[in-house]
Amino acid sequence: MTPVLRIKDVAKTFWTPNGGVRALEPISLDIRQGEFISIIGPSGCGKSTLMNIVGGLIEEYEGEVLVDGAAVRGCHKEIGMVFQEESTFPWRTAIDNVAFPLEAAGVPRHERLKRARELLKLVGLDGFEQRFPSELSGGMRQRIAIARTLAFQPRILLMDEPFAALDEQTRLLLGDKVLQIQQELNQTTMLITHNIAEAVQLSDRVLIMTFRPGRILRVVEIDLPRPRSSKLMGGEKFGQYVAAIWEDLRDEASKGLQEMEGARTG
Amino acid sequence: MAVVEQVALRSGVRPAAAPAAFWTVTRLRVAAIVVIFALWEIAGSSGFFYSGVLPSSLLIFKAFVGLLLSASFWFHAGVTGFEVAAAFVIGISTGALTGLILGANRYTGAVFEPFLHYLAPTPKIVFLPILLILFGVGVGSKISLGAISCFFPMALSVAAGVRQVNPVYLRVGRTFNLTRLQTVRMIYLPALIPPIASGLRIGLGISIVGCLMSEIKLSRAGLGFSAMEYYRIFDIPSMLAVLVFIFVCAAAGNVVIDRYVRLPGPQTARA
Amino acid sequence: MSTITHTGALRRPPPIVTRFLVLAALFAVWEAASRAGYVSAFILPPPSAIFQSFEMLFVHEGLVAAFLRTFAEAFAAAGIGSLIGVAVGYTLHRVKIAGRAFTGWVAASASAPLVLLYPLFLVIFGRNSATIVAMGVVGCMPPIILKTKEGLDNVRPVLLNIGRSFGLTPWKQFWMIQFPAALPTIFNGVRIGLLFAIINVVGVEYLIVFGGLGQLISDLGDRFEIPGMYAGILFVILVSVCFFFITEKIETWLLSSK
Repeated sequence: MTPVLRIKDVAKTFWTPNGGVRALEPISLDIRQGEFISIIGPSGCGKSTLMNIVGGLIEEYEGEVLVDGAAVRGCHKEIGMVFQEESTFPWRTAIDNVAFPLEAAGVPRHERLKRARELLKLVGLDGFEQRFPSELSGGMRQRIAIARTLAFQPRILLMDEPFAALDEQTRLLLGDKVLQIQQELNQTTMLITHNIAEAVQLSDRVLIMTFRPGRILRVVEIDLPRPRSSKLMGGEKFGQYVAAIWEDLRDEASKGLQEMEGARTG
Repeated sequence: MAVVEQVALRSGVRPAAAPAAFWTVTRLRVAAIVVIFALWEIAGSSGFFYSGVLPSSLLIFKAFVGLLLSASFWFHAGVTGFEVAAAFVIGISTGALTGLILGANRYTGAVFEPFLHYLAPTPKIVFLPILLILFGVGVGSKISLGAISCFFPMALSVAAGVRQVNPVYLRVGRTFNLTRLQTVRMIYLPALIPPIASGLRIGLGISIVGCLMSEIKLSRAGLGFSAMEYYRIFDIPSMLAVLVFIFVCAAAGNVVIDRYVRLPGPQTARA
Repeated sequence: MSTITHTGALRRPPPIVTRFLVLAALFAVWEAASRAGYVSAFILPPPSAIFQSFEMLFVHEGLVAAFLRTFAEAFAAAGIGSLIGVAVGYTLHRVKIAGRAFTGWVAASASAPLVLLYPLFLVIFGRNSATIVAMGVVGCMPPIILKTKEGLDNVRPVLLNIGRSFGLTPWKQFWMIQFPAALPTIFNGVRIGLLFAIINVVGVEYLIVFGGLGQLISDLGDRFEIPGMYAGILFVILVSVCFFFITEKIETWLLSSK
């Protein structure tokens, strides 16, 4: 079976007036249909760069990104992105936010509203259709953003630290929501995070990346039964995974920290 | 700890002082209007000023009604209305276009925006002698001064608005494969409505000022001209009635802008 | 790819250079057009003639005195306006209900054509400096009131709690915490107010032909002293721009030294 998403020798160097900065060493990765993958690494490991390359926001890079075996470059209908920042449109109601990509694609009004209503229900926001983002909480707004991305029915859902701006408890509950969506839609998902527990809770595989230049240090298969929820977190096996990943990540994170602090004093 | 206790103490004391709730926003506003009228009447009849300088509000009201019934008033009002409308449309549209260009192109913005930034807070009335030479004493010089006045705030407001469109909205647009036209219509335009509204609001006030000041300086028609005529024959109630009419129109214009040029949804707490 | 755009960006001169080149080109075209007779020298005299008439303005027309007078009036207006405006702003901040009732009115008056009230002041004070200063005060008050209230409203609550924890009296709380914390915003209001005062002062001077730069320009126009008139206008613009620039620099300096 061909993988849904194949990342083949993707690498990236950023050019500045002072020369090049190698952000990503060649990375290769195959993702199966329905799989949930997390990429975890210290700040500055290039995980956001990788996400932006796959999502098509960065178009200059080495290597190839293939969806269903066909190479893609630039933003692509089959790849949906959810951003870390607040990205709902404040001038649109919840339902109009979700219908946004359908409206852009010229889907008739009745149909796109029907579809948007279903998606709002999926993310647990039925009854809030006519509310504006400013009337909703941060967690609810991020769920709107997820529903909006799902409205385009992407083969692959990319999420760049979507819960980073939320408090811990909201984050856990949203994690449950994402799990439920992923299981319901059999949605192939790639999540960027620096929260280890979140990565273990959600993923089939966790990719640990090194500090700059980013490359894959280790791939951890998370062999925990599905369907899952945040209740998983008390388990012994869960704790072992978290500890093992932190063991690998610690050196990289402290390398990153040293470099950041060095840059600040130097 | 001490802070928490004190705050708790203070907030605990508050409810006891509840009778202050007599003053509501509406009552306070009504009271303010009454006080202003009373002060006006007292000052007018106090003898501090020459008689007739601060005429009783009743006289002003009578003069106001008289104006509304006179044909010549409506002629002057029509002239001024035309001038302000033309100045507003010209100044606002060129301003918005300039703002879009300066905001969209970083280099062009960096080169030319300082000109606007520094020219904006200069007194535009000093251009009037030049405009009088160029366009004569008629409506041309009035329209051009009004247009120049409201051009600057609109251009600066829109330029800043374009630059401040949240980049994440543009990224969202790219991930959904929006065309250039769709990006403008579905992201830039709604995001620009607040700066456009503020440009319109400021622009309306100063284009009225621009047109009326040039009428006052040199003209043969318009509300500024007619106010000055009343001033010359010392018909102060009529002069003030003309000013009242202008303020009412300006306020009505602002209400229209506030009401129709705005984003849907609650108007507070916008990012 | 990125290297190419990088060198491409290098080829363009810095914006400030382009800005002055554009300005120089503008003056050159203007001069040439005027000399060649494409535009009437009466309507648009060449820049060289305008610059030459600066001497006449300084020597015969009392440009310096007019400038000093206008700015004295504007500063007087801004001084009076600051005293009243800060007091009103403080009241609107302190008495919450008053703030809710009247802040909208003040904001509306900021975009209302208040300068048109000058005939009223003309009949009260007569044709003299008092009218001009009064119009300056009217012009500068709204931004000062609004910025004072905004500055006081936005003082971080934790600073107020620190004051309370030290048991400061309300008066000391104001002078030691609220006022200094709000000062940058208040200064910004006073600065905008001063600019509005200059606009109103020059405008009323021009309209009633009394005192200062406004009268000077009006007189030159009436005498069809066209190059001189252009020089006067240019002078007002330059002075306002310099003034704006300097106060802007002071403001950023004040903010950075905080």
